[in-house]
Amino acid sequence: MANTSLSLDRQRSTVARSRFGIVPGRLVGRLVWAIYLAVLLAWLVFPIVLVIAASFQGNLEVSWSLDHWGLDAYRAIPRDYWRSFRFTVTVAALSTVCSLIISVPAAWGLVRGRLFERGLVSNLVLLPDIVPHLILGIALLTVFIPLHLSNSFLGVLLGLMAMNLAMGLRFSEALLAGMPEEYEQAARSLGAGRLTTFRLIVVPMIAPGVAIAALFLFMQNLIAFELLFFIAGPSARPIAILLFTDIVDRGVVPQAVAMSALLVYVGIAFYAAVAMLLGPKYLVGTVMSRKG
Amino acid sequence: MDVAARAPTSSQSVHLDHVLKKFGMFVAVRDLSLDVEAGEFVTLLGPSGCGKTTTLRMIAGLMPQDGGEIRFGTRRVDLLPANERNVGLVFQNYALFPHMTVAENVGFGLRMRGWSRARQQAQVAQYLALVRLDELADRKPGQLSGGQQQRVAVARALAFDPDLVLLDEPLSNLDAKLREQVRLDLRAIQRQAGQTTIFVTHDQVEALVMSDRVVLMNQGDIEQIGPPQELYTRPATEFAARFIGANNLLPGRFLGASPAPTALVEGTELSFAAETRAASVDGAGQAVWICVRPEQIKVARPSRDPRQPNELPARVTDLIFQGTTLLLDAKVEGIGAIRAECPPAEVDHLNAGDEVVLRLGGGHLVPRESGAPSNTVE
Repeated sequence: MANTSLSLDRQRSTVARSRFGIVPGRLVGRLVWAIYLAVLLAWLVFPIVLVIAASFQGNLEVSWSLDHWGLDAYRAIPRDYWRSFRFTVTVAALSTVCSLIISVPAAWGLVRGRLFERGLVSNLVLLPDIVPHLILGIALLTVFIPLHLSNSFLGVLLGLMAMNLAMGLRFSEALLAGMPEEYEQAARSLGAGRLTTFRLIVVPMIAPGVAIAALFLFMQNLIAFELLFFIAGPSARPIAILLFTDIVDRGVVPQAVAMSALLVYVGIAFYAAVAMLLGPKYLVGTVMSRKG
Repeated sequence: MDVAARAPTSSQSVHLDHVLKKFGMFVAVRDLSLDVEAGEFVTLLGPSGCGKTTTLRMIAGLMPQDGGEIRFGTRRVDLLPANERNVGLVFQNYALFPHMTVAENVGFGLRMRGWSRARQQAQVAQYLALVRLDELADRKPGQLSGGQQQRVAVARALAFDPDLVLLDEPLSNLDAKLREQVRLDLRAIQRQAGQTTIFVTHDQVEALVMSDRVVLMNQGDIEQIGPPQELYTRPATEFAARFIGANNLLPGRFLGASPAPTALVEGTELSFAAETRAASVDGAGQAVWICVRPEQIKVARPSRDPRQPNELPARVTDLIFQGTTLLLDAKVEGIGAIRAECPPAEVDHLNAGDEVVLRLGGGHLVPRESGAPSNTVE
């Protein structure tokens, strides 16, 4: 009897399979999974699409009619927006580069030197992320005013670097901890000094990971707001702050939307550049996927 | 450049004098002294945690020692950093630089020594030819098989004419068949290059096949140093007898050395040819292990004649066919399990449960240090 019912079950499942291609239970599961992913992606992408669409229509109330599309909002971007935009891109890029130049060797010393300070430093660098950036900005302001650094390029740069160094150090530490020490030991035994080993072996090997770190830092800098809110001023004004003050004063003007869209383009362009430089596998998978 | 350009030197002898390494309270290497002749292939063999890799790393300069002295020839090196020791090192995972080509990897040591590009190229070509990889000079390591990567690592370690070459379990990532081939290749390359070589492994077969001398280590100490054959046929300690090769260890007592070493096991007096006892077996009545290799045992049907010398009655418990040989497990009353290795034709008429006689064709006495089970055959 048991055998008969078993074979009946088998027949039933064969029928179900032949009619739907796959087992119905599994089909429902996949459908739910697809909907879940679609909603998630829509939620993530929606604001960006909205900003871009709005930038071509000069209005946040996006209409799907093709008549309203055009570049008027972009043409209307005033000179002080452009100045602020250039300032932001320059200071963001410079802070990224400076922070990585400092944090990569520092992380190498911490990881490979097995300094007892490592635990302390690793935890200390978490602090800038635990303290709200607005508070950090106020703290920096109290230091910067007597040094005449507020409302200056250098002040904004140092403010961003305070944030970037922490992230850069953590990124580099993780990269180096994931790189077997044998590569460096091999270089040393072949006659390379510490600095040569760092330059010829460590840097090229972690370069893909560092490029991804640069991507994250640059993006973060491009839209940094709370931290720079108090440090910035008329002669050193990041675009995010300018947009904020303008929108508060005048409402969502078309040129503000267009400028926001430009920031999205810069982000995408930088991401694409890194992706082309490294190949897509580094962006989706581990940054240490190269094998020796 | 970090190392001054230097003319090629011949390989050096290596001397370790009372070298000590501690990790906190744990003594990893205990007062180790060892002399390796120039051009010699010496293997540090032992179980994991015996201190062999630690010793290798101290010689390479990757780890400072806590005591003692290391010399290459007459040059004291233990205070020098790794990059000034002139040691070729092959790692277990090869550690080839993934962003450099095979040729750049092999030439790295030469580049660090400030060789001209032309000289570098000539030397790299010569060493790639030695390891039969001249065709693959422009490939990246990621495009090579495990065996090829291993040979690149060897070429890289030899190319800059180091004082000695250290190999840290370089065969353990290869599959069994390739390992057998590479073992012989490596030995041939070493002989051709004439380099002093220290090889670290936990694999006794590798040690026996490749080495001029084997240093058997245990718990940070040297148990025995000697040519492979000596370690196999005349282990000095119980540990050596258990670690190297399959061995039957029968508990007994040493009776005396004249005319040949004799021992008593379970009431049966065994007598062996000269020179088959460890130096530390010297007192009559001393507790010993009588080590008998499976291939030294002949299996026979019990006869009605009075027992011959060196015979033990046993009952067959299992027969394991291995192709060219057959392993016969038997139980000896009062002693335990014993394994014999026989040509299949000699024992194929036997079954589990049969009564047999085991004729011990040889035996070697080592002092008994533990009461552990008599049989270590795996």
